[in-house]
Amino acid sequence: MSELRLEARDIPVSRMSTLVNKTGSWKYIRPVYHDRIAPCNQGCPVGIDIEGYLNLLREDRLDEALDLLLRENPMPAITGRVCDHPCETACNRRELDGAVGIHAVERVLGDLALERPVEASAVRHTEQVAVVGSGPAGLACAYHLNRLGYAVTVFEASPAAGGMLRLGIPEYRLPRPVLDRQIERLRQAGIDFVCNVRVGVDLQWSVLSWFDAVFIGTGAHLPKPLGLAGEDNPAVRQGLDFLEEVNGGGRPEVGRTVIVIGGGNTAMDCARSARRLGADVTVMYRRTRAEMPAILDEIADAEREGVRLEFLASPVAFGDDSEGVVDVVFERMILGEPDASGRRAPVPTGERFEHAVDLVLLATGENASLEWLPPEVKVGRGSIPVDRLGATGAGKYYSGGDVAGHDRTVAHALGAGKRAAIGIDRQLRALRGDAIPNAATPAELDALRLGPEGNLSIARWRREDPVRRVSPLDEVVGPEQLNLTHFEPAERHRDHKPNGRTAQTFDEVNLGLTSAEALAEAKRCFNCGVCNECELCLIYCPDVAIRRGTDGNRFEIDLDYCKGCGVCAEECPRGAISMTREGL
Amino acid sequence: MKKVIYGNHAVSWGVKLARAEVISAYPITPQTQVVEELSEMCASGELDARYIMVESEHSAMAACIGAAATGARAFTATSSQGLALMHELLHWAAGARHPIVMADINRAMGPGWNIWTEQTDSLAQRDTGWIQLYCETNQEVLDTTIMSFRLAEQVNLPVMVVLDAFYLSHTAEPVEIPDASLVDAFLPKRQAKLKLDPADPRSFNALVRPDDYMEMRHSLQQAMREARTAFDEVEEAWEQSFGRRYGAVEAYHIDDADLVLVVSGTMVSTARHVIDQRRAAGERVGLVKLKMFRPFPTETLRAALAGVDKVAVLDRNLSPGRGGIFAEEIRAALYDVPPDDRPQLFGYVLGLGGRDIRPDTIESVIDRTRATDAPQREDLWVGLNA
Repeated sequence: MSELRLEARDIPVSRMSTLVNKTGSWKYIRPVYHDRIAPCNQGCPVGIDIEGYLNLLREDRLDEALDLLLRENPMPAITGRVCDHPCETACNRRELDGAVGIHAVERVLGDLALERPVEASAVRHTEQVAVVGSGPAGLACAYHLNRLGYAVTVFEASPAAGGMLRLGIPEYRLPRPVLDRQIERLRQAGIDFVCNVRVGVDLQWSVLSWFDAVFIGTGAHLPKPLGLAGEDNPAVRQGLDFLEEVNGGGRPEVGRTVIVIGGGNTAMDCARSARRLGADVTVMYRRTRAEMPAILDEIADAEREGVRLEFLASPVAFGDDSEGVVDVVFERMILGEPDASGRRAPVPTGERFEHAVDLVLLATGENASLEWLPPEVKVGRGSIPVDRLGATGAGKYYSGGDVAGHDRTVAHALGAGKRAAIGIDRQLRALRGDAIPNAATPAELDALRLGPEGNLSIARWRREDPVRRVSPLDEVVGPEQLNLTHFEPAERHRDHKPNGRTAQTFDEVNLGLTSAEALAEAKRCFNCGVCNECELCLIYCPDVAIRRGTDGNRFEIDLDYCKGCGVCAEECPRGAISMTREGL
Repeated sequence: MKKVIYGNHAVSWGVKLARAEVISAYPITPQTQVVEELSEMCASGELDARYIMVESEHSAMAACIGAAATGARAFTATSSQGLALMHELLHWAAGARHPIVMADINRAMGPGWNIWTEQTDSLAQRDTGWIQLYCETNQEVLDTTIMSFRLAEQVNLPVMVVLDAFYLSHTAEPVEIPDASLVDAFLPKRQAKLKLDPADPRSFNALVRPDDYMEMRHSLQQAMREARTAFDEVEEAWEQSFGRRYGAVEAYHIDDADLVLVVSGTMVSTARHVIDQRRAAGERVGLVKLKMFRPFPTETLRAALAGVDKVAVLDRNLSPGRGGIFAEEIRAALYDVPPDDRPQLFGYVLGLGGRDIRPDTIESVIDRTRATDAPQREDLWVGLNA
């Protein structure tokens, strides 16, 4: 068109290119791309690169997402069902419209992973490792050592592997086919399982002397007596003992009315299991709902199934009634000052009342299984003390999980098993003659951490992190470093979907997300702290000084023209750009 | 395809068919529907344009200027106070010769706060260097919107498409929606010669000293002159493809008329109706519709009005301290018509702030003009409350 007639004499246009004007000389601060740590990654006790696999899902790279998840977590199908997901508590998306439903996404990925073999190690070492106890800590330690190329034998006292996963967690939360398939997957990877053997009783520790390292993951399942009168009444049962029976297929008589004492996940499991056996169930907890340690969804499910909760009541004595009924005497409590756990402590009021029931289930905690340990292993206050890498200090003995005093969740046990696998690998490599300092330095461990308070990454330990990091910083990104205006609101998928049946069966209660829902949920991730090449910096740079990178760099900044305005860092939605002083 | 649509949506459809590439706007009654519809067209993908949300009309025009500077086809729409807020950038858009198209829904300026129609908002931007085209019907709105892009890009000047609040913006009429492929042939993708290009960066619109500034203003004036003929060419091409044209100035029953009304916007339709009735009764009366205000179609208007005895100019606008703005411009245009041919010009101010201009309002103007021997010094206000 005739617009082409417009000439430089009609409007002011420079004759020369403005490239001669190097505006970069004006700056005193400059932008630098730094990948930081997403808060979910630091919040995960397992130490999974959650942001990383969600980003791969965003790019529809499902196989790579699964691979990244499985590098750190041996059993996402299980954690995707039973983990209390502190990752979501840490998620920055809370500030916008609800945390990303990481837990539910993990379950969908976990179910896919069940059908895939464990990736075989490229090398096979001659050293052999024994793992005593097949709970989540032991299984994680075995899995990671297997992937590192070690021969691993797992010893289990029960008839089947799984530890607390099998004995403590009801089927309606963790269907046995999922657990069995998970164990089978580990067996197919070459891990040996020896069940029905109590090491220290049926088999002397000395027999294990030909193993190059031994991991002790015997858990915590010993009763913790309350020391109350009448506790020996046969109608007063240990909750865990009751769960073991039910989870093993037993259907014990529970009578008409059951009281469960406690406020944690074991209490919820006992209450809901007893409900399924036909009882009218009340959970008595000495603090209030706000202090209950149980997973919120479990509490909600229990109430939906008809379990009653009663608060601020602590048992004082169990009386015997003539007709086989237990008279439980409670004392009314009030909340006082916070205790060591940070929660407000129950304080007795002197007021007493009674409930007469057919069965009492005690779910007030268990003691670590410290009997029959090898003599060299020292026991601290109720647990085996270990260092960051699970070393007990007694030569080849490592430990982790409930028995080692770690937080009593599946996720913490998986994280502890992984740390011990790193510790064992480190020790065996040192013995093999690799140039490794005797003791792991703080700097060495810091380099493996996912954030200052995060767990260790075994991908980093193996130096084969598949995600390319751009000059990573050991900093966790908080909401104040994000630019939320760049994110569209997207409602969180409802990820806890009860199956609709009443509490009559042991079928899995939570239906979870469909694959399509999980993929959509994954795309809600902000990718906090990690550049996902959204190109907003490139669009916003007023000097057109940012361009797509070469040599694998995502972006390059032309410092001849970047005048240090900071718009890119301000606009970056995810806090992946920082401004640094010129010359530093 | 015919659709029954609002005047506002006729703008949206025109912009869609013109394949605008960047749209930036800030909502204001009565313009909101224009950009609401466009935002939905962008969201659904039926219009492949970047829709930029902004916090003010000033920013909206700034975004359009930025977009146009890169060679994109840019559009915005506003009304009244929103247009006034753009004022600084209206000069910039024209001076930088950006072919931006903007719809202005004529709305009275506050206070008193008023959302109804009046032409003062657009006429107050007379000297910013924008072409201004006033519309009578929804069909004209759609056609003018598309033609404006071609005109703008041909002469490198921004174009304001102007329509009455509510009487047009919120009134549904049957509108023929042109075939998209024919519109594509009529209006190909914009080809800018001088544009921001990261591969060959230049400085644009920097300081210009007295040695050059006047030449650039002269170029702007030349472009405006060129726009007058370019408009006729664009309409000619439009008529060939779509069978409709409007004219910078339209004469209606003026051949033997001794009294001619000069009207614009939706009051033209009302006036046509009155003229038809008076003609049926044997009265020699006609009207001239002023579609183009900038560039001012002086020659065409003089040709139409020369020799007429009396001309009544109906102004739905006001330059306080002077009077109706159209009347003033037309007086100037007729000044050097030889005295024997020069009509008497009667100015009327009416319909401000959306006050209805009904057939009897126009009848009263005709009667008053016939009954008066010579124009009064000041324009007459029609229909003032006692």
